[in-house]
Amino acid sequence: MKFPWKHQSKGQDLERELQSHLQMAANDRIGRGESREHAEQAARREFGNVALVQQVTRDQWGWPWLGELLQDLRYGARMLRKNLGFSVVAVLTLAIGIGANTSIFGVINAVLLKPLVMEDPNRVVYLQESWQNTFGNVGNVSVGNFADIHRQSASFASLSASNNASFNLATEGAPERVQGELATADYFTTFGVQPILGRVFTSEEDQPGHEHVVVVSERLWRTRLRADSSIIGQPLRVNGEPYTVVGVMPKTFDPLLSESDIWIPEAFTAQKLADHDNHYLNVMGRLKPGVSPAQAQSELNVIALRLQKQYPLDDKDRGLVITPLTTVLLGDQKVALWTMLAAVGFVLLIACANIANLQLVKSRARQKEIALRAALGASPQRILRQLMTENVVLGLAGGVLGVLLAFWGVSWIVAKGPAEVPRLAESNIDPTTLAFACGITLLASLLFGLAPALRSASSQLSQAFKEGGGSSSGSRDRVRNVLVVAEVALALILMAGAGLLVRSALLVSQVDAGFNTSGLVVGRVGLPDAAYHDPIVARQTFERIISAAADLPGVQSAAAVSRAPLAGGGSSNGLLAEGKPFDLANLLDAQLQIVSPTYISTVQIPLKAGRDFVPQDTRDKTLVTIVNQTLARTMWPGGDPLGKRFACCEAGPKGRMDPVWHEVVGVVADVRAWGLDRRVQPQFYLPIAQMPASAWDWIGRTMDVVVRTQGGPIPLNALRTTVASIAPGVPIYGVSTMQQKISGTLARSHFDTFLLSIFAATALLLSSVGIYGVLSYTVAQRTRDIGIRMALGASQTQVMCEVLGNGMRLTTLGLVFGLAGALAVTRLLSSLLYGVSSADAITFVVVSLVLTAVALLASYLPSRRATRIDPLVALRYE
Amino acid sequence: MAPRYQNRIEILQGTLDLLILQTLQWGPHHGYGISQAIRASSGEILQVDTGSLYPALHRLERQKWIVADWKLSENKQRVRVYRLTATGKKQLLSERSRWEQLSDAIAGVLSPVKREGV
Repeated sequence: MKFPWKHQSKGQDLERELQSHLQMAANDRIGRGESREHAEQAARREFGNVALVQQVTRDQWGWPWLGELLQDLRYGARMLRKNLGFSVVAVLTLAIGIGANTSIFGVINAVLLKPLVMEDPNRVVYLQESWQNTFGNVGNVSVGNFADIHRQSASFASLSASNNASFNLATEGAPERVQGELATADYFTTFGVQPILGRVFTSEEDQPGHEHVVVVSERLWRTRLRADSSIIGQPLRVNGEPYTVVGVMPKTFDPLLSESDIWIPEAFTAQKLADHDNHYLNVMGRLKPGVSPAQAQSELNVIALRLQKQYPLDDKDRGLVITPLTTVLLGDQKVALWTMLAAVGFVLLIACANIANLQLVKSRARQKEIALRAALGASPQRILRQLMTENVVLGLAGGVLGVLLAFWGVSWIVAKGPAEVPRLAESNIDPTTLAFACGITLLASLLFGLAPALRSASSQLSQAFKEGGGSSSGSRDRVRNVLVVAEVALALILMAGAGLLVRSALLVSQVDAGFNTSGLVVGRVGLPDAAYHDPIVARQTFERIISAAADLPGVQSAAAVSRAPLAGGGSSNGLLAEGKPFDLANLLDAQLQIVSPTYISTVQIPLKAGRDFVPQDTRDKTLVTIVNQTLARTMWPGGDPLGKRFACCEAGPKGRMDPVWHEVVGVVADVRAWGLDRRVQPQFYLPIAQMPASAWDWIGRTMDVVVRTQGGPIPLNALRTTVASIAPGVPIYGVSTMQQKISGTLARSHFDTFLLSIFAATALLLSSVGIYGVLSYTVAQRTRDIGIRMALGASQTQVMCEVLGNGMRLTTLGLVFGLAGALAVTRLLSSLLYGVSSADAITFVVVSLVLTAVALLASYLPSRRATRIDPLVALRYE
Repeated sequence: MAPRYQNRIEILQGTLDLLILQTLQWGPHHGYGISQAIRASSGEILQVDTGSLYPALHRLERQKWIVADWKLSENKQRVRVYRLTATGKKQLLSERSRWEQLSDAIAGVLSPVKREGV
């Protein structure tokens, strides 16, 4: 006969089997004449511990832990439901901690950890020139040097060069400016990426005269070329000249993270290949199989020595350095991102400490339940396993909620995060991030659960039953106190870090940009080489554009500058002060700005000495220059720069050693051209009418048009029509106000500051909850003591002071450890700070005070409760 | 009852399997029946602890030496009845011969000592 429930549950079967055993034993006794009651009792006594028999029998089934695990999971879920208040608090706290960690990890994974999308990115290196005794130290490579390295080096499977450029693209509709690169034919081979359509360019096409081919990005192909797969072989007008589309690169192809949309062959002319003086190439190499970076570096050192001897004018003191491409592109992101992860890690630790504290309270209440289990035959390991399973159930609930939070967190960071962080948009909750979330969930469960569980499982049975529940066990309080001290310390470290960033952001916001930033609008105009090759035509075009822009309604004045402040990029030149021998070591590297005569007055850079440029400063007059204070101070320390001369930028008619002198006619205030939080560099201005003809090539015939408005809206359309009417087919692009540009450069640090402040605030809140919890518990536990003392005459103030003192003692200990930790940790933040030391005393004092105040508040509530204890009630308590 | 408890002998590790298989040789039995049978046939000396009996039964079942079925007992009670399988019978034979070897060996060790002592 088959019973339908036979297969339902093996566990139930076993129970029935044992029950039938008991019943038969009892029946036999009844048959021998015993009373039913007596018989059942005796049978049970003879049988022994039913639960234990069940358990040891189940162990024979194999996979004993699986059944127990399910049992424990069910039991854990039931316990959590029973303690709903605790569970909700714990799960929410955990979810915040895990959610924040998962979000930040999702970003780190996308930005830092994912390999660059190319074949074996670890073999790709970025080659730079180093120059001793100058700031920056490393920079781009000259065409001449690249050609020589390419010829001489044997370390690279392929070595390619490119330089970023932007192009006017004529598709249907308005002309548009797109970012792209001029690249050598090896460029695509170096990264080992194939086009999705067509082909990349050949080395024949990388020769002058054959370079009218273009490879486009998937994005450009989709948005501008209607994703037309017959585009290959079709013409495309780039900078007003006809090019042929030969290939489309895949969507993920962005090897230099520059969001290039088109690639055009470099096609170096013989003249360019001989040029060792202009350093503007990105050089990327793929190491040959079996060649280590160190081997390649030592070969390059030999080549660098050769270059130094061969071209002493250009390459003296110049070395060659290779760095993994990944480091070059993503190295800057490391400090901030890992700091964030450390910060949220701290928040999670504090959350765990809080939950562990709650667990300790709960484990006290459960002491009898656990003792009972032990009495019924559960081994300490078994109890430990069960308690840990409960923690894991709790952890998993927090983890699931945390991951949901992280979906929101990551999309928030992607939406609000600074645009300059490469690959930020690729952040998401992918399998790696999920695995991370699972990992920290389990780790957190272990952290907050292990101490309480160990304590419960090992507690002495007899003690548990003996204890009335009134007196406290000292060592348990010690664990709780240690946890609170740790929370306070971690919170202080976070607050110190956030405090330093906030203080540095405040300092940056007070930095003087060096010019009047309000009402200033900037847009970029690039004249195509073909139609504007003649320097005179180019200059006159810009002059006409700015005079027409100045006449627009609402515009006070207009000017042109090769690179507006905060617009990024720019070119630097070595300057030789008059009177110093010509030697590379005597050159001062300074940023060049080519400006229209109206520039300094339009941007309102304060003139400190001398005069402004005038339209009469033309090529046939004395060549003049205006320098910033930093340059004046560096080149002529203590002297009057006016009337002094330096040579730069071009060679005289008698060859390279023939200096062309520029006379300083004015000194202007320092302008923070690279960002408010960056160091000011030596800078000099040349009037557009005196600039060397070759300078038009350096700046790519591209200038920023700067317009001072009377405060109205950006005259975007008016500017567009003005430029288009003077230079047909030429767009003005990247139009924004100066204030937008400034906040753009600060977006990153503001975002970091904002995030870290949120984390620090969370940490502060959690740790104050921790202090509150411990003190409330102590007060509740000591109700009887306090009652007795009050009955014996202790005043309310005395009682209050004692509780407050208890809280303050924990806080002070936490502060001491936290300050020590903060001093050690904030040093890592140095690179993110501006104008404030990583051990800034003011910050440390302020955050300590804030923390103390919050801790005092958290202690006050339980202390007030202590004073309200009625001695009579307290003595009757329990 | 008390004297009987004193006479109880702990069943040697590993011999319980043999006793169960031997008991089942006479026909299917439930757990309680097996423990009663062992007790009765040992003259009330061998008392099988339930904490050993049921794990042993389930272990033997897993080895496929015995199989279990739910049956109705004489007093209409659902009981789990164990029955010896063919491999169980072979196992019983080999366990028996191992046991006989073991007891002979032990007797051999014990008897010279006894002779000297007499």
